[in-house]
Amino acid sequence: MRKTYMAVVLFALVAIVGNHLTSPSSGRAVSPEDFAGACAPCGAPCPSKK
Amino acid sequence: MSTATLSASDSGAAPSIDYLFLGAALIATAILVALVLLDGQPASAALILGGFGLGVAFLKAEFSYTASWRRFLTRGEAGGLIGGLIVIAICALAVVPVAALNKNFGGAIAPLGPSLIIGAFVFGIGMQLANGCGSGTLYTVGGGSGRMLITLAFFIVGSVFGSLSLPSTFALGGVDPVLASDYLGPWGGLAATLLSIALAAGVMIAVARKRGANWQPSRAYIVGGIVIGALCIGVFFAGGHPWSVTYGYTIWGAKIFAALGFDFSNAGFWQWPGNKQALTSSVLSDTSSLTDFGMIFGAMAAAAAAKPFASANWPPLKSLLAAAIGGLLCGWGARIGFGCNIGAFVGGVASGSLHGWVWFGAALCGNLIGIRLRPAFGLSRE
Repeated sequence: MRKTYMAVVLFALVAIVGNHLTSPSSGRAVSPEDFAGACAPCGAPCPSKK
Repeated sequence: MSTATLSASDSGAAPSIDYLFLGAALIATAILVALVLLDGQPASAALILGGFGLGVAFLKAEFSYTASWRRFLTRGEAGGLIGGLIVIAICALAVVPVAALNKNFGGAIAPLGPSLIIGAFVFGIGMQLANGCGSGTLYTVGGGSGRMLITLAFFIVGSVFGSLSLPSTFALGGVDPVLASDYLGPWGGLAATLLSIALAAGVMIAVARKRGANWQPSRAYIVGGIVIGALCIGVFFAGGHPWSVTYGYTIWGAKIFAALGFDFSNAGFWQWPGNKQALTSSVLSDTSSLTDFGMIFGAMAAAAAAKPFASANWPPLKSLLAAAIGGLLCGWGARIGFGCNIGAFVGGVASGSLHGWVWFGAALCGNLIGIRLRPAFGLSRE
């Protein structure tokens, strides 16, 4: 299990760093609820605004 | 045992340190912190370190929502649930007034309706099969449980399925979020929130007493609850919102699916502005991912500092099957139900949002089903 774990940790770290270096950064870290019209943590709109 | 592991019998010291995994956890955390600091984002670094602290605290206190809820439902023991309420009460002290008074901060809110109830109920079934909720999965994965690696993988897949289902369940209807501070102001809202927590604690204690069970939280749960509550406040100030877990899983899964060629351009969920941006932005631009990564590596560091890491054997196949099914249900339910124990229950109630208590009630009902299903997978009902 240790070998599996080390492989997963290495793969995950490479994937995170690779994604970060190849993707645009939004500047300050955000959540979908920071966007206008969001009514839930996942950014869903309010039922009254649908 | 690897050569990197110093065993207690070799050294004569009480804890045995697994230097290989302790080093890996610390180096990985340092790399992530360095990356966000190079982008000029100290708040992101604070979220990673806050998550790291949460991972350590959860692991050292063995703070488990899943086991606590099961003990309450099967034996009437309320100590674990009370420990969870300590976290919420402490967090609410900052979240309710600050979110109401400062426009740069917001609470965890969500609409009330069938989507919330269905999602929470399904999540409740899943968490007993998975043997972990959102935060529990993170710290047990970080703590070296191979079984929970399976849970996390399927949790991620389930949450992507949930993102595809949410627009249709959301269309079933509902009402806008009900926030105590909207009606009572910041301090009245805080008072109402704390009162609701006290009432819930009273009901839990009454149930425990009626069943002749213990209702007092252990010392580990009291200390752990206070530390976790304080860290929740730190995460709130760093991220601008209460701590959340499972949205990160959805982003990770969608990025993996997109890399494999899946097209999300026709999926309603991924056209909502925040999600559309998150899918193309760096994963380190997402607040929940930052705390999630920190929590995994924090738990890994704490586990590796105490004993040989991930030294247990793989569990039986039936247990792994339960982990996979439970993970899928948790992932789907969390997305449909607007979060997990942390994002919906802890964050929701600590924000004074009624959806937090609705989520709790529906998830508790789901737990009853999940507990009944556990023996079919060789898991204890206790």
